[in-house]
Amino acid sequence: MSLLRVRGFGKRYRRVVAVDGVDLEVSRGEIFGLIGPDGAGKSSLMKAVSGVLRFERGAIEVFGVSLDSEASAERIKDRIGFMPQGLGLNLYPDLSVEENIDFLASLRLVPPARLAERKRRLLAMTRLAPFRGRAMKHLSGGMKQKLGLVCTLIHEPELVILDEPTTGVDPLSRRDFWTILTELLRDRAITALVSTAYLDEASRFHRLALMHQGRVLDRGEPDAIVARSGGSLVRFRAADQRAALARLRGRFPQIEARGRLLRVFVPERDPERARARVAAALEGLSVDALEADEPELEDAFIALLARRGDAGVKEEAPRIPSFAPVADDEAVMIEARELCRDFGDFRAVDHVSFRVRRGEIFGLLGANGAGKTTVIKMLTGILPPSAGGGRIAGIEMGGGGSPALAIRQRIGYMSQAFSLYQDLSAIENIRLYAGIHGLHGPALRERAAWVLALAGLRGFENARAGRLPMGLRQRLALGCALVHRPRVLFLDEPTSGVDPLGRRRFWEILLDLSRRQGVTILITTHYMSEAEHCDHLALMHAGRLVADKTPDALREELRREAGRLLELRVDRPLAALERLQGRYEGVSLHGPRIHLFAPSLEAAGVDIRARLESAGLKLISLREREPGMEDVFVYRMRALEREARA
Amino acid sequence: MRLARVRAIAWKEWREILRDRLFFTMAFVVPLLIMLVLGYGLSLDVENIPFAVVDHDRSEASRAYIQRFSGSRYFDFVGYVERDADLQPLLADSRIRLGLVIPARFERRLRGDRPVEVQALIDGMFPFRAQTTKGYLEAIDAEANRELLGDFLKRRKGLTVSRAARVVAPVRLAQRYLYNQAIESRWSIGSGLMMLVLMVSPPFLTALGVVREKESGSIYNIFASTVTRGEFILGKLLPYVGVSCLNILLLWLIATQLFGAPFKGDPLFFFLASLVYVVCTAGIGLLVSILVTTQVAAVLLTMVVTFIPAMLYSGLLVPVESMSADARMQAYLFPPRYFLEIVWGSFLKGLGWTDLWVPVAVLAGYAALLWSIGLLAFHKRPRR
Repeated sequence: MSLLRVRGFGKRYRRVVAVDGVDLEVSRGEIFGLIGPDGAGKSSLMKAVSGVLRFERGAIEVFGVSLDSEASAERIKDRIGFMPQGLGLNLYPDLSVEENIDFLASLRLVPPARLAERKRRLLAMTRLAPFRGRAMKHLSGGMKQKLGLVCTLIHEPELVILDEPTTGVDPLSRRDFWTILTELLRDRAITALVSTAYLDEASRFHRLALMHQGRVLDRGEPDAIVARSGGSLVRFRAADQRAALARLRGRFPQIEARGRLLRVFVPERDPERARARVAAALEGLSVDALEADEPELEDAFIALLARRGDAGVKEEAPRIPSFAPVADDEAVMIEARELCRDFGDFRAVDHVSFRVRRGEIFGLLGANGAGKTTVIKMLTGILPPSAGGGRIAGIEMGGGGSPALAIRQRIGYMSQAFSLYQDLSAIENIRLYAGIHGLHGPALRERAAWVLALAGLRGFENARAGRLPMGLRQRLALGCALVHRPRVLFLDEPTSGVDPLGRRRFWEILLDLSRRQGVTILITTHYMSEAEHCDHLALMHAGRLVADKTPDALREELRREAGRLLELRVDRPLAALERLQGRYEGVSLHGPRIHLFAPSLEAAGVDIRARLESAGLKLISLREREPGMEDVFVYRMRALEREARA
Repeated sequence: MRLARVRAIAWKEWREILRDRLFFTMAFVVPLLIMLVLGYGLSLDVENIPFAVVDHDRSEASRAYIQRFSGSRYFDFVGYVERDADLQPLLADSRIRLGLVIPARFERRLRGDRPVEVQALIDGMFPFRAQTTKGYLEAIDAEANRELLGDFLKRRKGLTVSRAARVVAPVRLAQRYLYNQAIESRWSIGSGLMMLVLMVSPPFLTALGVVREKESGSIYNIFASTVTRGEFILGKLLPYVGVSCLNILLLWLIATQLFGAPFKGDPLFFFLASLVYVVCTAGIGLLVSILVTTQVAAVLLTMVVTFIPAMLYSGLLVPVESMSADARMQAYLFPPRYFLEIVWGSFLKGLGWTDLWVPVAVLAGYAALLWSIGLLAFHKRPRR
C-alpha cells in the first residue's frame, strides 16, 4: 500500500529548474532512499512532500491527501516529521537538549505523560540522556544530529522525512542513526524517506531513487538497480599500475584506481566472462587477485549516466598536464609534532603528530568538528598553534614573518568552500590567484593555460565561477591552488557534494599529481570510500588522532581484532537482527541484509544457521565481505568509547 | 487557535532573548544606548557661538559694544585679531563661527550722532545655525541702538532714562513660552526620542527573530507542524512586545529623570498609547521578515524603513507644518508623526484621551493593517 505517491513532480526557482518529472511511490513500513549529489533536487522534493514548499508541476499524495494547496498540506502535518538539511540547524542553540525536545513536543501538543515516556526512551536510545541539561550549541555534530532526530520523532509520526541526516556526521554516529531508524521500523512500523549524498549508504534502504540534476535516473531495490546496469566489476592489483591503466583505457569506459586496487566496470552481466575479458586485456602483465563481482551502486550510477549520454563519461581519459614543482631533497614534506590548539577552555586539537613523505597522499578523516580544519589551518600558517610545532616543505613553522611567507609560497590550499570568487570569471579567478603569488607577464599566461588544461575548462574561460557546474568549479579551485607550483597541497573536504563522476575525475588528477609529479597531498574528507585512495590515513576524533596506517594495514588489524565481516540475507531481517544481537559484534541492518563480525565464515555459518532456524527464520545467503574504511573506523571508535568509559 | 502552542512559542522565544547575548543586547542595551547617545548629542540649542573681533577703533565704545556679545550666554568671545584677513583662517577652521569687524572712528562717529557700519561675518555652512546666529546678532544690536537712542533723547530733550526708553520702544512685546518654558530643547528631544527608539527597536527584534529562524532552518519546525500561522505570529509577537513594554518604562525614566523632561499627562493613557505604537512598529518588522530571507537584508531594510521616517519625517527635528508639501505627505504616511504628537502632548502639554484619541486610533489602525498583511502574507508552504 502506497503511503506516498509522487507523479510528474517539478519545481523551479525563478528560471532555474531544480526538479523535473519525478515519479515515486513509498510503501508503508519501508525506508526509502533518495541518493544523489548536491543540486540533484533531493531537498526540493523532500520539502514538497513535507508540505512546506509550493511546487508547480505534478501531484503529490501523502496518506491519500493530495498536496495541492496550503490548506490540504496542513492536513498531513500531524502525521509527518520533517528534519531539514544541516546538522542541528532546525534546533535552538541556546536551549538545552531537554528544552529543545519539550518545545517541539509542545508544538505537537504531546500530552505530558506520554512525552515523559517517549523522551526517556528516545534519549536512552540515542545515548543523549546524560546531556539533558546541556545547551544544544555545546553538543558535538553527531549529538546534534541525534537530537534533531529525537525532536522529529517526539510526536511519533507515521512518516519521517529526513534530509541528509548523515552528512558531515562521524561514522559512529552514522551507525547509531541507522540503528535507531531500524529499531523504529521494527517497533513502531514507521515509514522513512531519507536522502543522502553517500552512495555507500544505499545498502541501508529497502528501495531508493538515484537522482541527478533534477531527474530520477533509476529507482527500485538497490540490487535491482545494480543488476540493471548490466555489468560486472572486475578488481585486481597490478605490479605496474600505470602500465595496466594504459592497457585498459579506451577498452573499458569506467576504470578507477583505489589505492593499489584497480576497479574496472565491464558491461557484461556474467562475472566470469567479464573477468576473462579483463584478463585478456592485461595479457602479459603481472596481475594479482583478479576477481569479478557485481558492481557497487556507484559504478551503476556512472554507467547509468553514461547510458544517458552524459558528456562527462564519454570524455577521453583526461590529459593531465605536468608542471614540475620545484624539486628538493626533503623526504618528509609535512610533519606535525604534538600540535595543540585551544579555543578558550576548549581543546580543538590535542597533541596531533604525523609525517607525510614526498609524493604521498595522506588522508585525514573525521566528523565535522573533529579538528581536521584546525590542523590544516595550523599547518598552513593561518592559525598559530597553542603548543607543538611542525615542518612544512623543509621550513620550520611558527617562525612568523619570512618563514611563514616562505611556507605559503611552497604550499597550495583549497578550502571547503572552494575559495573561488563567485562573481569573477574562471580566467579572472586564475589571474587573481596568480597575481597574489607574484606571477605576471608570460609566466602568468603559461600558468593560466596550464590551469585551464588541468581543470578541463577550455570554452568556459569567461563563465562566472558561481555558474560553473560543481565538478568544474572544484577543478578550477584545485587549479588555482596549484598556480604557483607548490610542492605541498592541502585540500579541505574538496569533494563534498560533488557527484561521483566529478569525484572520480578529481581523484584521477590527485593521483597523477602525487604519483607522477611528486606533489605531496594532505586531504580531508568524510567520504569513507575515498579513504581507499590514500597512502595512509588517520582518523581524527574529538581533537585526537586515532590510528595512522595504510588502508590495508587498518583492514588487516580489524580482521585480527574483530574478525571477518559477514553479510547474510534472511527472509525476515528485523526478526533475525534480534536473534543475532548480543551474540555477535557489530550486528547491523543494511536494507534486507545483515552485517556482523565473526571469527570465521565456516564456524559462524553453522551457528548462525542454527540460531535462525530455531526461530523459524530462513537464511538465504551468507558470504564474507571486504570491510570498508567505515567499518574500520566505527570499530576503532567504539573501542575508544569503551576505553573512555572504563 | 491553541493557547498551549502560542505559549510554547512565546516561552521559547523569551528564553532565547535572555540567553542569546546578541539578542539580549539588541533587546535591552541598544534602545537605551540610542536614547542616551542621541539625547545628549542631538541638541538643537544654539549657544556659546565662538566669535573673534577685529577692533580698528580700540575705544571705550567699541569695547562696550563687544561686551554686549561676550556677556551673553549665546556668544563666546575667543579673542581679538589684528587684521580683517586674520578672521578668514579662523572661520575656515571652524574655530569661530562669527567674526565682527569694528571700523576706525567708531566712537567718534557715534558721539557725532552719525551712523556707523559694523561688519559681521557669519559661518553659513549650517543654515539653521546661521539663521539663529543672525537672530541673536540683530537682537543684541537692536538693544544697543535702543540705548543709543535713549541716550540721545536724554541729552537733547532732557528726558529721564526710563521715559526715554518708553519713547524709543512704545510697543513692548511680552513673551511667554508655553509647555517648554525654558525652551530647553532637551525636554522636547529627550521625550521625542522615545518615538524614535520605539520605532526602531521593536521591528528589529521581530524581523530578526523570524528571519533568524528562516536562515537557520528552524522555521521548518513550524512549517512542518500543525502550528497555525496565527499561533506562530502571536507567539513570536508576545515576547517582543513584552520586551518593548519594559523599554517603554526604562525610556520614560531616562526622559524624565536624566533629561529632566516634565511629564504632565496621564501615565496610564501614555503607557497604553505606547503599547499600541509598539505593536504597530513590531508589525513593520513582521512585514520585513516576510520580504527577506537573510539577517543582513533584514537589518538593512528595517534600518531604512524605520530610522529615516522617524528621524526626518516625524517632526522631531523640523516641524511637520514647515516641511515641503511632499515631505509633509510622507510625514502623514508613517506612524512616528502620530506618536510624537502623543509623546509631546503627554509630556509637555498634559493632554490625555480626549485630546489625543485621534492619533491613537490612527496607530491602532496601522497596527491592524500591518498585522493583517503580515498574517496573510506569511505562508507555511512558501514558493522557495
